[in-house]
Amino acid sequence: MPDLSQKKVGIIACSGEELPCGTVTREAALLVLERLRPQETVTLCLPLFLAGEERERAFARFFPTIAVDGCEKRCAARATALYSAEPAASIVVDELREQLGLEAPQRIRGPEEARRTLVAATAAAVAQEVGRLLGKREMATEEIAAGIDVLSEGAAVCSCMSGIPVERLEVNGETLELIALPTIFELLSQQGQHPDDGATAHALLEHTRIYNAVPGENEDALRQALLLAYREYCAERAGAERR
Amino acid sequence: MSDKQIPEVIILPCSGIGKAFGSVGREAAYVVTEELRPGQARTLCLSSLTLGDEEAKRRVRRQPTIAIDGCPKTCARINIEQAGAEPAATFRVFDVFRQHKELKVRHVSDIGEAGEKMARILAEEIAQKVDELQRKERKSDA
Repeated sequence: MPDLSQKKVGIIACSGEELPCGTVTREAALLVLERLRPQETVTLCLPLFLAGEERERAFARFFPTIAVDGCEKRCAARATALYSAEPAASIVVDELREQLGLEAPQRIRGPEEARRTLVAATAAAVAQEVGRLLGKREMATEEIAAGIDVLSEGAAVCSCMSGIPVERLEVNGETLELIALPTIFELLSQQGQHPDDGATAHALLEHTRIYNAVPGENEDALRQALLLAYREYCAERAGAERR
Repeated sequence: MSDKQIPEVIILPCSGIGKAFGSVGREAAYVVTEELRPGQARTLCLSSLTLGDEEAKRRVRRQPTIAIDGCPKTCARINIEQAGAEPAATFRVFDVFRQHKELKVRHVSDIGEAGEKMARILAEEIAQKVDELQRKERKSDA
């Protein structure tokens, strides 16, 4: 996967409505998204992998993803791998709880000390994993504790309909919706890849293929369309820089 | 058939992790299963349906299932349908909001007093539907 997907980490919680540890996954994910790593994380409702469209299924191909599961069934990790891509990391709350010797929560909702403690521990583990995936420094215990205790103005927003940049291209008279294309253009441009360079068309197609299904019969036409769109992008960018 | 054999109604809220209405739907499901109709209704992990877990699929095919959705993506309803079942009823949190625009839900991780009220209004409607579905089951067994 190229560097362009390393800007944020996707968090997929199982949300397990039936189990107290399912609630823990949800509450811990929200803590990370809103307070501990608000600028570095995004989320998506797991059931959207089945109910949504291709752009939702591209989630784990676009973002390195941490699956947070409540129990050993590991629905979040397995469904993410099944529909999108293998998660970059997987945390199972029940296993974490045993490792840390914490009390098992009994309630699905409402205040409960055992659940609150486990939510904090899970959120800390997820936040550290986010840092590891982004190559950032480890968060200090005090920093995590402060993030958990202090209310933030931030709000978690799921990535359905908004998180992944998309661009449409006409290919062989058909409109293709290509995931991540604006970001791919940005990346190649930053790398100094010129549209007239012989390797550019190939690079464009290979990057596009990571996030999109490219039917074989459309490959040549898509390569040409990508190059044309990239040429326009570079021209616009050069014009904007001159202004 | 006695009351004991009437199947529990499954209440399936969407996961709605990034949407405040998702949290309201989830809370409504818990108000029904824990307070209003305990023993008559219970919930199920939607993620297990998404994964295609056979036991979860069997349950929604055999038991009347109510979907609660917090956004237009209607994940709960679609996941039930993808499991080969037809929801016995579907509820949308937004429909409650349309009737009670004075209730402004605070936030996804803390729905606030207005959100709690909205969840309770929705839960009352769902509880009525649970009763109706169980009456139907009794009649069809008689």
